[in-house]
Amino acid sequence: MAPWMASGLIYSSGLALTAGSITLLYIVTRTFNFAVASMATFGFYIAYTGISLYGGLPYQYYPLVFIFGSFLGIVCYFGLNRHLLRRQAAEITLMMSTLGYDLLLLSFIQMYADFLTHTYGLFPRRVTLNVHDFELFGERAAAIILPIVTILLLTLLHFFLTRTRFGVAMRATIENPVLSGASGINSDLVYMVSWVIAGGMASVGGAFMAMAMTGTPTMGMFTIPLMFAGAILGGLTSLYGGILGGFMIGMTEYAGIFYLSQQLGPWVLGYRMGIPLMLMAATLLLFPRGLAGIPLAKLINSLVGKKRGESA
Amino acid sequence: MTNDNKSVKNQLDLKELFLKREVWVIFIILVLLTLLFNRSGVNILLTIFIDFAVFAIITMSLNLETGYTGIPQFGRVAAVIIGAFAVGAIPGRIIAMFMGLPYGAEYASDSVNFRLVPEINQLLASSWLISLGFLVFSLLIAAICGAGIGWLISRPAIRLKEGYLGISLLAFGDFFMWVGHNWKGMVGGSVPVSVPDPFRIFAGDRFMVIVLVIFVIAFLVFIYLQKLTRSPFGRSLRMIRDNDLSAGAAGKNIVSVRTQSLVIGSAIAALGGGLYVLYVGSMASIGFTKLTFTFWPWAFMMLGGIGSNLGVLLGVFLLTILRTMIVIFRSQWFGFLLTIGIDPLWLEFTLMGAVIIIVILFMPHGLVPEKVEPMLPKSRVKQIIERRQLARGESSTS
Repeated sequence: MAPWMASGLIYSSGLALTAGSITLLYIVTRTFNFAVASMATFGFYIAYTGISLYGGLPYQYYPLVFIFGSFLGIVCYFGLNRHLLRRQAAEITLMMSTLGYDLLLLSFIQMYADFLTHTYGLFPRRVTLNVHDFELFGERAAAIILPIVTILLLTLLHFFLTRTRFGVAMRATIENPVLSGASGINSDLVYMVSWVIAGGMASVGGAFMAMAMTGTPTMGMFTIPLMFAGAILGGLTSLYGGILGGFMIGMTEYAGIFYLSQQLGPWVLGYRMGIPLMLMAATLLLFPRGLAGIPLAKLINSLVGKKRGESA
Repeated sequence: MTNDNKSVKNQLDLKELFLKREVWVIFIILVLLTLLFNRSGVNILLTIFIDFAVFAIITMSLNLETGYTGIPQFGRVAAVIIGAFAVGAIPGRIIAMFMGLPYGAEYASDSVNFRLVPEINQLLASSWLISLGFLVFSLLIAAICGAGIGWLISRPAIRLKEGYLGISLLAFGDFFMWVGHNWKGMVGGSVPVSVPDPFRIFAGDRFMVIVLVIFVIAFLVFIYLQKLTRSPFGRSLRMIRDNDLSAGAAGKNIVSVRTQSLVIGSAIAALGGGLYVLYVGSMASIGFTKLTFTFWPWAFMMLGGIGSNLGVLLGVFLLTILRTMIVIFRSQWFGFLLTIGIDPLWLEFTLMGAVIIIVILFMPHGLVPEKVEPMLPKSRVKQIIERRQLARGESSTS
């Protein structure tokens, strides 16, 4: 594996989870969750704290990271989102409220970083987590483990949504909140669970991304446009689309910048953010409803042609 | 007749109530200002004023786009930074060209720049005409570049729905910061570049004059926006914000009106960015983060009241004072944080987040809610009513 591909896989897995988290929340609650930025950063800091205080591998702290992210999600739901949903607030108000929460979390992250520096003598403002990684089959283990974990999480989520009673109830609420409420589904619980899952996904995603990039307190702030780009690329209508979109954004960024820097020289490295944004702008221009909005079945049908005797 | 009088009187009472709220906020602001003045003298007031004026310009432009047009402008920083680039890169180069100094990409490299700018400053200090020309030209070029970028950004995104639009604007805002940070030939990339100082001619009074100039410009922007939002154009903006379907049905070209609003707003925001760079005297693109130039203006606007220019001004003033107070009183009030190694400066973000959340949850319309304003001034409306009543009276008697 080329080095860019290894880091690209790690980074894209993280981006896929965060983009999936944004998509999930948008589908269920119509909320564009800005707080994903700080949830991701917090996820990274939980893993970092675990490693530097108790040692071990980054991977063993991911369950803890997930739990903490879920906690942040629940706090946001009960403190903020719930009241606004009941008030049927506009999309922008919902978005702004999560921005406020994100800024609160950002200040707590900065304070936490100060606290770590002061109390434990750590250097939490520039962290490279991948020094704690090990080698697997001659590659960085994260490049193999993290995509697998992402796929595993996605499969779990898929089974949760399609095979369990509550998952089906959740999908019903997504499709038609009023009707599902009338048939006795507790939409409050559905919203809460989606915040739990989304918060956990965002935090784990942040912890993933820190394995490929330098972890700083503003890490999430700087990558949030890319997370949103992934969600938009995915179309914001299906969870799988969001995860795929995030993954594609991450991979194009790494592959594109690697190719361009070989062709044009290393100066392009500074503009790496441009590639995913270009991709996002192109998606918005060509397929305003994202990858999921491309009428794939229709296209194939038009290529194959109508079956004889089939009505229009 | 009596009924009409009564309703007019009721309206007046209501108006007074609203006025009281504004007066109340102004009173708090004055009290805080005197408190700060007593403690730290006149300089702190000037700093607050200058921050207030710069952010007032930026926030009012945001209010035009978000408050009046309903565009979720999460990329305010893009226009601001373009204004800053324009002022940092273009006017200084033009003067350098006329003086026979290097003006290409090497203008921005720090080893050349730190020799060049003092020479330009000497020229500027020698004649007030050149200084004034430089100032006016800088602001003009900032506004033009801002308008251009506003148009450019609006192209892929303007047709989109609320959230999508906001997010693409956010992404573009970030992109420009990275361009400035990496393109060394323009404004020095990661190394800050000095900007020629048109206020050098005032020597000791420089700071006072800058405050005055920015204040005057902020005031002019306020007047302009007040006029604009009361004009037919402003009405169509509000119509599109409140119901774009009916606006479309009434024959408004939604995309074009929104684009115009974005272009005007970006031009004004770029003006703010340019003024900020002239005041600071140097241009470092890494300083133009979305935290400072997108999210703070959003917090200001939400506190003040979305869609009300006066409210926005009060919101900016109040929060600017609170922000400065955190800096001044950090060891005095928040000493307990220092004992565990936490810098109280981070409380700025806490304040920003808390203000946004509290405003959304408890007073969604802000300190000074948007008022439904009559199309004509009140005296004129009264005149018309009186004339009509007179005419009616005559017709009934005859």
